[in-house]
Amino acid sequence: MTKWFVSISLLLVCLAMIPPALIARQRAVTFTKPRIHIIQDMDAQLKFKAQNPNTLFNDGRSMRPPLEGVIARGDLMEDAHFYKGVINDEWATTFPGRMPVTLDLVRRGQERFNIFCQPCHGIAGYGDGIVNLRAMRLMDAPLLGNGTTWVQPKSVHEEAIREQPVGQIFNSITNGVRNMSGYASQVPTEDRWAIVAYVKALQRSQHARETDLHARERAGLGDPIDRRPRSDEGGGE
Amino acid sequence: MGRYHYIFPKWSNLLLPMMILGGAIAPLYVVMVVAYGFSPLTTDVGFQPQQPVPFSHKLHAGDMGIDCRYCHNTVEFTNHAAIPPTQTCMNCHTQIQKDSSQIEPLLNSYITGMPMQWQRVHDLPDFVYFSHSAHVNRGVSCVSCHGRIDRMEIVTQMKTLSMGWCLECHRAPEQHLRDPDLVTQLGWGIDRSLEQMIEDGSFWRQQNNLNPSQDCSTCHR
Ligand code: HEC
Ligand code: HEC
Ligand code: HEC
Ligand code: HEC
Ligand code: HEC
Ligand code: HEC
Repeated sequence: MTKWFVSISLLLVCLAMIPPALIARQRAVTFTKPRIHIIQDMDAQLKFKAQNPNTLFNDGRSMRPPLEGVIARGDLMEDAHFYKGVINDEWATTFPGRMPVTLDLVRRGQERFNIFCQPCHGIAGYGDGIVNLRAMRLMDAPLLGNGTTWVQPKSVHEEAIREQPVGQIFNSITNGVRNMSGYASQVPTEDRWAIVAYVKALQRSQHARETDLHARERAGLGDPIDRRPRSDEGGGE
Repeated sequence: MGRYHYIFPKWSNLLLPMMILGGAIAPLYVVMVVAYGFSPLTTDVGFQPQQPVPFSHKLHAGDMGIDCRYCHNTVEFTNHAAIPPTQTCMNCHTQIQKDSSQIEPLLNSYITGMPMQWQRVHDLPDFVYFSHSAHVNRGVSCVSCHGRIDRMEIVTQMKTLSMGWCLECHRAPEQHLRDPDLVTQLGWGIDRSLEQMIEDGSFWRQQNNLNPSQDCSTCHR
C-alpha cells in the first residue's frame, strides 16, 4: 500500500469527523446568535404577535395605546364601589355586592397576597418581606447600594391601617400610596377585593381575642395561668 | 513484456472492498449528520439571546422567591405569558439600585415611555396555536416546558418546542401533572422518583379529567 493512499484515506476520515464534532459542540453550548431555520415554511407570518416591533410607529408598539379620553366597551367603571372602593365620596366600609366574602374569596386573596404583596410586606404582613430585607442591606452598604433609597413597607397590623375601611385598603392596592406603586395593571379588580378580604383576615389573626373562639375551643384552652411545664416534660434542672 | 506495461500493484486489490465499504458508510454518514445537525436539539436548544438589561431570574425568582405570576401576570388568564412592562420593574427599582448602570436602560424606558426591547427566547412558528392558561391551570408546571428558570442568570431555551415534543407529552402527560396550585414552584417534586410523579400525575389527571388532544386542529387552527 502506498503512502499517499493511506494518508488521503486518513485525511478523509479526519475531515469527516469535523461535522459531528461541530454538532456535538453546538448541542453542548448556549448561543446568542439567532437560530437558523433553513426551511422557513410559514414560521414568520406578516402579522403582529406580542414583542414583534412595528416599524410604522415611532415607539415600535404594534398594540397602540388608546388615545386620551377613549374608553373601551366595558371599561367605563361606573360602579364606584366596586372599581374605586368609594360610596358617596366616602371610603366604602363594606364589600361590593358582587363580591360576597366567602372562605373561597379569602383563600383566593391569600394566594394573590403571597404572589403580589409578600415580597415586600412579608408572609404575615409585618413589612418584613425578602425584598425589604435585601433593600435594607443595600442601604447599609452604599458601595453596593447604587443609590438605593428604601422606605420600609408598612406593617398592615399598625393601628392606623387596622382601622382603615376596606375601601381605603382597596384604593391603596389599586392606585398605590406614597412610595408604593399601584397594582391595578397587574391584579384584576376581583382579585384586588380578594386581597383586601385576606388583609382583613390577617389583621384579625394577629389581634385575636379569646372571645373570637368557639365556646368549645375556649374550654380547651385551660387556665391561662397554669403554663408551667408538666413534670414529665422535664424542666432541665 | 516491455517495461512500459503498467502493472497494478498488489494492494490495488484492496480498492474494491474499500470502495464498497465507503459506499455503504457514506450515505449512513450523510443521513446521521443531517438528522443530528438539523434536529431542533441542535439548532434551537441552548438559544440564549442578549437582553438589553442583564435581568436575572436566579436573583429575582430563585433567591428572592418572587412568584412567576408577579411579572408574567397574564399566564393564567390568556394564551400569552406577558413579558412585564417597565412599570412592573419600577415597582421596586424606582428605589432599589436606581443609580446602577444595569438599571439605566430601565429608567430611560420609564422616563421616555419607549418599551424595553426584550428579545424573544421561545418562539413557536406562527402557524401553531399555543395557550399558556390551558396548560398552567390544568397543572402543567413551567418547569416541564422551560426548565429551571429560577436557576438561570440568562433565560435559555431548554426544550425543542417541536411538534414531536408537544405530542410526546399530550400522549402521556402523567409525569408532568401536579396540583395546579404548585405550577410556579419549579423545585417541587425534585426529590421524587419518576414512579411517584406518575402516580401523583395520574391522580390529578383523573381529578381534573384531562385528555390532551392529538387532533391536528388542536394546535393548527
Ligand atoms: C415593592 C414593594 C411593595 C409591594 C409589592 C407592595 N407594597 Fe404595600 N407598601 C409598600 C411600601 C414601601 C409602603 C409604605 C408607603 C409609604 O409609607 O410611603 C406600603 C404601604 C402599604 C399599605 C399602607 C397604606 C397606608 O395607608 O399607609 C397597605 C395597606 C399596603 N401597602 C398593602 C399592600 C398590598 C395589599 C399589596 C399587594 C397587592 C402591597 N401592599 C404590595 C411596598 C410594597
Ligand atoms: C421580576 C420579574 C420576573 C419574575 C418574578 C419572573 N420573570 Fe420571567 N421574565 C421576566 C423578564 C423581564 C423577561 C424578559 C427578559 C428575559 O428573557 O430575560 C422574562 C422572560 C422569561 C421567559 C422567556 C420568555 C421568552 O422570550 O421566551 C420565560 C420562559 C420566563 N421568563 C419564565 C419565568 C418563570 C418560570 C418564572 C418563575 C419562576 C419567572 N419567569 C419569573 C421577568 C420576570
Ligand atoms: C419585588 C421587587 C423587584 C422587582 C419587581 C424587580 N426587581 Fe430587580 N432587584 C430587586 C432587588 C431587591 C435587587 C437587589 C438584590 C440584591 O443585590 O440584594 C434587584 C436587582 C436587580 C438588578 C441588578 C442590579 C445591579 O446593579 O446589580 C437588575 C439588573 C434588576 N434587578 C433588573 C430588574 C428588572 C429588569 C425587573 C423587571 C422585570 C426587576 N428587576 C424587577 C427587586 C426587584
Ligand atoms: C406546555 C408547555 C409550557 C408551559 C407549561 C409553560 N410554557 Fe411558557 N411558553 C411555552 C411555549 C411553547 C412558548 C412560546 C410561545 C410562542 O412562541 O407563541 C412559551 C413562551 C413563554 C413566554 C414568552 C412570552 C410568550 O407567551 O410567548 C413566557 C414569559 C413564558 N412562556 C412564561 C411561562 C411561565 C411563567 C410559565 C408557568 C406559569 C409557563 N411559561 C409555562 C410553553 C410553556
Ligand atoms: C408537559 C406536557 C405538555 C406539553 C409539553 C404540551 N402540552 Fe398541550 N396540553 C397538555 C395538557 C395536560 C393539556 C390539557 C388537556 C385537557 O384539558 O384535557 C393540554 C392542552 C393543550 C391544548 C388545548 C387547549 C384547549 O383550549 O383546550 C393545546 C392547543 C395545546 N395543549 C397545545 C400544545 C402545543 C402547541 C404544545 C407544544 C408547543 C404543547 N401543547 C405541549 C400538556 C402538554
Ligand atoms: C400538540 C400540538 C400539535 C398537534 C396535535 C399537531 N401539531 Fe403539527 N406542529 C406543532 C408544532 C409545535 C409545530 C412546529 C414545529 C417546529 O417548530 O417546526 C408543528 C408543525 C407542523 C408542520 C410543519 C412541519 C415543519 O417542519 O415545517 C406540519 C406539516 C404539521 N405540524 C402537521 C400536523 C398534522 C397533519 C397534525 C395532525 C396529525 C398535527 N400537525 C398535529 C404542534 C402540533
